Amino acid sequence: MQNAAMNIEDKGGDQLVLHVGPQHPGSGHFRIIVTVDGDYIVGAKPDPGYVHRGAEKMAEYRDYIQNIPHLERPVIIDATGVTLPYVLTAEKIIDVEAPDRAQYIRMIMAELNRIISHLYWLGIYGIFLGHSTMFMWPMGDRELFIDLAESIGGTRVTFSYVVPGGVRNDMPTNFKERALKTFDYFEKRIEEYKKIFFNNPLMSARTEGIGTMDKKDAIRLGITGSNLRACGIDSDTRKDETYCLYDRVDFEIPTRKEGDSYARCIVRLEELQQSMNIMKQVFDLIEPGPIKQVIGGVMRGEPGEAFVRTEAARGTMFYHIVSDGEKNPYRVKISVPSFRNLIGMTHLLVGSRLADMPAIYWSLDYWPVEADR
Amino acid sequence: MVNDPTLNLLVGKASDILDNTLEKNVREPIRFLVNWGRLYSLWPVHLETACCSIEFGAASGPRHDVERFGMLEAFGSLRQCDVLVVQGTVTRKMAPRMKWVYEQMPEPKWVIAMGACAISGGLYMDSYNVLQGVDKIVPVDVYIPGCPPRPETLIQGIIELQNKIRKSKV
Ligand code: SF4
Repeated sequence: MQNAAMNIEDKGGDQLVLHVGPQHPGSGHFRIIVTVDGDYIVGAKPDPGYVHRGAEKMAEYRDYIQNIPHLERPVIIDATGVTLPYVLTAEKIIDVEAPDRAQYIRMIMAELNRIISHLYWLGIYGIFLGHSTMFMWPMGDRELFIDLAESIGGTRVTFSYVVPGGVRNDMPTNFKERALKTFDYFEKRIEEYKKIFFNNPLMSARTEGIGTMDKKDAIRLGITGSNLRACGIDSDTRKDETYCLYDRVDFEIPTRKEGDSYARCIVRLEELQQSMNIMKQVFDLIEPGPIKQVIGGVMRGEPGEAFVRTEAARGTMFYHIVSDGEKNPYRVKISVPSFRNLIGMTHLLVGSRLADMPAIYWSLDYWPVEADR
Repeated sequence: MVNDPTLNLLVGKASDILDNTLEKNVREPIRFLVNWGRLYSLWPVHLETACCSIEFGAASGPRHDVERFGMLEAFGSLRQCDVLVVQGTVTRKMAPRMKWVYEQMPEPKWVIAMGACAISGGLYMDSYNVLQGVDKIVPVDVYIPGCPPRPETLIQGIIELQNKIRKSKV
């Protein structure tokens, strides 16, 4: 960690207070104030909110369609993962249902986005551990999946593709062939990733047994997603509260028992394969048909409330919309996985070494923009 | 003798000629050399302000590779940096930090406003916590539109900045 100390405060005795971030190569857009005693962290106080843009408030004075682009911005790496739960909730309020083909295309986009997001995470994790090759490889392979998503959604990362009633446009005719070609290539690459990174003794020395989360603590702190699965709990919203047509495809939930940084990495790596398996099955299931249920006039919600939980790349994404019958939602509440992972991070950092901080921090896949909303 | 207008004219002409020669043969090459050195070794600060940082990261990836154009990857130490790329939305909490970062960078320094949010608030034009354009607090040299700008657009912005540096005074 180069220039970890932006701000040093002497607490007397052997303790020092270090401010890590917001201008720090490893902090992203947030700050964490750690108290160190020698090399060990004895206190960690996160200071999020550097990217708080008031998405929930803004959602109150935009209508259901206008809300999609700005609710996508908190996690543009996982654009479909964050808009899909919003759209599903809005569909409950407006009382429309998307046709089967649209549901399948949504699943394809959600899984593509999961891969794109995980590969971004993997690249940055490589940098965090000082492994530049592992930045270049996933970032390069990520572009192939971005190309696939771009051919459906029309832009590199911010598609705003899922809309109430279906999806915006159909996928191109040769999509299946292109996708299968990419998957073939990427499956071979995963083996190479394992050779160069995951089975590398240096990598395991820096992550194995580091930042170990207990099963009970994970449940108590409300950790979700891959971080929870790495503690040995096979919880996946795609299976637990199935949405879209995830009940028609067959996939495994990768889990690990150890709960350390290495387990979290391996779980994410295996999820890449599972996402590709889901998409392959969807290609066989998908049939020609309409992609959108056209809604005439302005979309108006029925008075009432609805909520939906989905599995985004970082964990469970939860939307709660209250409507009073107007064309704007009355209240939109977003509960994001990153914020809960932040609580987990504070818990894990205390007691570990300062040098292990990057390895723990990014193994949780904490995305500050998402946590701040 | 001293007040002779012809002589005054002569002296004036001579100093003009001298100035021109100096300009052409000494200052111009020095300016060219200094600018040339600066423009192909831009060091951006590692200050992420919002979601545009993803495309900034993708631009340093292997497909787009901004290093080809003489801009290095984001770097941690402010004392070595000369470009501040404002990667998206600047909120009220981030704004003072960004100004400090800018003030700590050594001269000469340039600022690129990346993304609609950094230019004018963009999508968050009516948000209560977003600075409506970073040029209110730091001087901006190049604006890169987009939400987020594609890596190609970022590269074009960097080339625009290099053109600006090429013409600048030393
Ligand atoms: S311009 Fe768009 S992508 Fe960039 S920070 Fe603003 S909202 Fe995010």
